[in-house]
Amino acid sequence: MAEVRFEHVTKRFGETVAVSDLSLTVPDKEFLVLVGPSGCGKTTALRLISGLEEPTSGNIYIGEKLVNNVPPKDRDIAMVFQSYALYPHMSVHDNMAFGLSLRKTPRREIERRVKEAARILGIEELLKRKPRQLSGGQRQRVALGRAIVREPVVFLLDEPLSNLDAKLRVQTRAELSKLHQRLGTTFIYVTHDQVEAMTMATLIAVMNKGVLQQVGKPQDLYEKPGNVFVAGFIGSPAMNFFDVIVKNGDNGIYLDAGTFQMPVPKEKTGTLDKYLDKKIIFGIRPEDIHSKEYMAPGIIASPIRAKVDVTELMGNEFFLHMLSDDKAFLARVDARTPARRGQEIELVFNMANMQAFDEETEKTLLS
Amino acid sequence: MNTASEAAEARPAYWRLLSGLRRFVQRLPLHVIIIVIALLWLTPTVGLLVSSFRPSSEVATTGWWTAFQTPFKFTLDNYSSVISQNGMGRSFLNSLIISVPGTIIPVIVAAFAGFAFAWMKFPGRNLLFIFVVALIVVPIQATLIPVLRFFTDTHLVGTFPGIWLAHTAYGLPFAIFLLTTFFATLPKELLESAYLDGASNFRVFYRLILPLSVPAIASLAIFQFLWVWNDLLVALVYLQVPSKAPMTLTINNLVSSFGTQWQLLTAAAFISMILPLIVFFALQRYFVEGITAGALKG
Repeated sequence: MAEVRFEHVTKRFGETVAVSDLSLTVPDKEFLVLVGPSGCGKTTALRLISGLEEPTSGNIYIGEKLVNNVPPKDRDIAMVFQSYALYPHMSVHDNMAFGLSLRKTPRREIERRVKEAARILGIEELLKRKPRQLSGGQRQRVALGRAIVREPVVFLLDEPLSNLDAKLRVQTRAELSKLHQRLGTTFIYVTHDQVEAMTMATLIAVMNKGVLQQVGKPQDLYEKPGNVFVAGFIGSPAMNFFDVIVKNGDNGIYLDAGTFQMPVPKEKTGTLDKYLDKKIIFGIRPEDIHSKEYMAPGIIASPIRAKVDVTELMGNEFFLHMLSDDKAFLARVDARTPARRGQEIELVFNMANMQAFDEETEKTLLS
Repeated sequence: MNTASEAAEARPAYWRLLSGLRRFVQRLPLHVIIIVIALLWLTPTVGLLVSSFRPSSEVATTGWWTAFQTPFKFTLDNYSSVISQNGMGRSFLNSLIISVPGTIIPVIVAAFAGFAFAWMKFPGRNLLFIFVVALIVVPIQATLIPVLRFFTDTHLVGTFPGIWLAHTAYGLPFAIFLLTTFFATLPKELLESAYLDGASNFRVFYRLILPLSVPAIASLAIFQFLWVWNDLLVALVYLQVPSKAPMTLTINNLVSSFGTQWQLLTAAAFISMILPLIVFFALQRYFVEGITAGALKG
């Protein structure tokens, strides 16, 4: 059990900066998901913890111990690779026992741990097989088993679900969460899939272009994104953004998007009064746009008329690709909403959940 | 009446036969060509084998293909003669003493070097690798005199360790090249996983790299063994001691002294062929076996 701490860690590969001045603390027993688009430095960050890469500058701690110069095998961590990296010439049993036998664990203890891990993962009957005789899901379990038997203080997982089919992925997601609760160990999990991040994490760290954007609980990142990138990355479908001008009217501050205006609720004013007559970025999630007929009670509704461009019926809900003038946005409305292509309909924005960002820094203007 | 349904029933069997026939006809030319090539290749060897069992009077007067007519006249005298009187027995042993270490030493050294070149980080790695690989193009004849002088100074001429060293040196550039390129194709995550599991470089090498590279190492071993076994030049220049002569040298001497005694030469030649054949058949399955299947996602 241990916390993991990055202090101003930078990693360069030649001219490329993979991780830039990363400071991040992963408290003990958390399930941290490092999420971001391809090439954002999340896998490099994970490999820095494992010791497979050395930081160009900065310090990495596991527990209280500075591990910059500690070789991978002495860091007491276990890693699950995207490709699983099972030893092809060894049986499932030997794959799991390999690390323990290298550490001179007594034979009886090895057998106990391998059996226990196999039981947890439901692969007891596969112990004698070779990796090539296993399905993708089974291999993934063996890779997990190999990490579990080591009883490490930190689990590192590098996109372990990306080679599974969609159904198995959903199932394994839940099992990983259960496993985390059961083992009570720090998990650090890398993925580009924000759904995996939202569903499994107790803590999410969003990275982009080597820079840490925001760390927080999933719900906090969803409700209070710190900048435009996080707002657009977390949540599916992605948040809609509009360029608007902050204006002061009779009923307080409102936002002018050209074709429509939106009053800002008092509790959302934040620092907006400093941006009077200036351009800012307004953000609203598709699920915070409702059809007028079926809007949820108690929302702070701001009406808007727009043309339906494309409709996607998802069964329980309707995805409407809307056009207001030339500005496209997506609304996620009640399935009963009468909407046809080309029709102009009335929608409402729930301003209670609006977001506002500085145009230049792209940082949030709401506290 | 029922012709339509009968035809429908008959169709599958008829079609199966037809498609089978078509496949056979399509593959026929290929098979014929392969069989003809195999026969062409095999004929001299079979002739050699048959002649080696025929008495000298027969060999001198008739072709080997006539041996299958009655009365059969086969004999083992040729073999006993070359093995006992002409030193082929001793030479066979010498060839083994030269070839086995002459294969094992370069393969082991090349495996270590290949691992270092493929997976270890050290300054000048690429430059050194290019230098080693470039040695492949150095003709062996260019090295004979300097190496012989070096061997004379170090008293290695006429010794087995001397010729092992020579074969190791001549074999290494290609061996290192082959194994380095093969090792480099192994998935990086496998090695990283082993390092995280606590393996040292040496353990990664012999628990992971070696077992996964059996096909490449076996191929290399066969190449190197055949090269050393069939070598005449290196033995001729560096060995120079008749009691340590390998079979290639002895057969060469037989040709000059028994130029007309075909039955002895064929027996000697067949003795020198038998081991490479055994080695090849023993290791050939590694050529086709892809052992890394299943390492990564299927």
